[in-house]
Amino acid sequence: MLSRLVFVSAPVLKSTAPLGAGLVQASRSVHTSQQSLAPVPALPEKGGKVRYGLIPEEIFQFLYPKTGVTGPYVLGTGLLTYLLSKEIYVINHETFAAASIGIVIVYGIKKFGPSVAAFADKLNDEKVSKVREVKELAVSNLQQAIEDEKKEQWRAEGRQNLFDAKRNNVAMLLEINYRERLHMVTNEVKKRLDYQIALQNLQRRMEQEHLVSWVEKSVVKSITPQQEKESIAKCITDLKMLAKIEQARPTV
Amino acid sequence: MILSFFDQFMSPTHLGIPLIALALSLPWVLIPTPTNRWLNNRLLTLQGWFINRFTQQLMLPINLGGHKWAVLLTALMLLLITLNLLGLLPYTFTPTTQLSLNMGFAVPLWLATVIIGMRNQPTAALGHLLPEGTPVPLIPVLIVIETISLFIRPLALGVRLTANLTAGHLLIQLIATAAFVLLPMMPTVAILTSTVLFLLTLLEVAVAMIQAYVFVLLLSLYLQENV
Repeated sequence: MLSRLVFVSAPVLKSTAPLGAGLVQASRSVHTSQQSLAPVPALPEKGGKVRYGLIPEEIFQFLYPKTGVTGPYVLGTGLLTYLLSKEIYVINHETFAAASIGIVIVYGIKKFGPSVAAFADKLNDEKVSKVREVKELAVSNLQQAIEDEKKEQWRAEGRQNLFDAKRNNVAMLLEINYRERLHMVTNEVKKRLDYQIALQNLQRRMEQEHLVSWVEKSVVKSITPQQEKESIAKCITDLKMLAKIEQARPTV
Repeated sequence: MILSFFDQFMSPTHLGIPLIALALSLPWVLIPTPTNRWLNNRLLTLQGWFINRFTQQLMLPINLGGHKWAVLLTALMLLLITLNLLGLLPYTFTPTTQLSLNMGFAVPLWLATVIIGMRNQPTAALGHLLPEGTPVPLIPVLIVIETISLFIRPLALGVRLTANLTAGHLLIQLIATAAFVLLPMMPTVAILTSTVLFLLTLLEVAVAMIQAYVFVLLLSLYLQENV
């Protein structure tokens, strides 16, 4: 009881200084629990073992070395006999009432004890499972995050390949573009040259034609009327000859 | 010293010190206080669950203003149930068999509900004195009757609890005495009487819990009317 002073606030303790300090120090020898609130000391999971629901197991263990297994029972019987025979405990109507309520209590505990205990355990388990769910969810989320991170790292490695491929693509595009333009240039140049060639051909042809027509013109011009008459007369005689030859042939 | 049947209801004193205070403090000693742990043992878990459910059920029909009474009513319920059930053990004294104690619970709490009603909503509180749909000629008579019924409530609360428990304990004593006296003379009749005693004990356990509950329930009802 005096050890509770440790949990009392310091100013209050200071006010009871002379007497209080002495009391606290004196009672420190009988302290059995830790004197601080954190960490919270662990509790035993089950209560102390009892036999017949009333008598702690420690009494049986205590008497075992001297009196063996039947010791406590003999003690109990003797005590009971003593109380009854000396009428220290008088049997009267209350004994019957006691027996009656005793039967009710024992029956109640035997019948409903396990189910009530299971219910209490279930309440506690529900509490624990709710919180455990949160923890599990957090853990699984974090694990998922780790997996995703690893995947991202792998992807990041692969990104180099991606960049190389893209670089290649771009280079190819540039190359294609360059070649296209080269082709275009070539074509344009060829067109220009073709034009020049065509121009030259045209020039030559026109010169030839001009020359030919000039020659023809000059020939025609040079044909004097005298020559013209002669040639025409010759043509006529030739034609008459041919006609005679033709007329002479039909019989063949 | 021979026990007369009414000695069990005598408020115990020892050397002039009234022991009823000790008897009344027994539930406080027996009911464990919640610890600062998150998970408790079975007893504390069950106690916490019971108190939560009880308070929730009790406060369901009551408006928000009446929720101030939650702690008081639940504590009262726990006290009465514990006192009643402990009184069923042999050679124990049940404080709730004392009319003075029960009136001491009933009158102040009932009066508190009435005064709260009169103070906060006097019209509604007075309006409870006249049920809806009464024929006009009956109104004066009914008001008088309802006023009498209002003032009888604390008396009824106290006496109900006292009478039920006293009668139960007395019956247990009488039937136990009958069984005890008949045992040497007519054992079979004694066995029958013992059976009756057993059934009566079961009834008394039920009555103990029900009476405590009824007390608190009626108080909550009066509160509901007035808050």
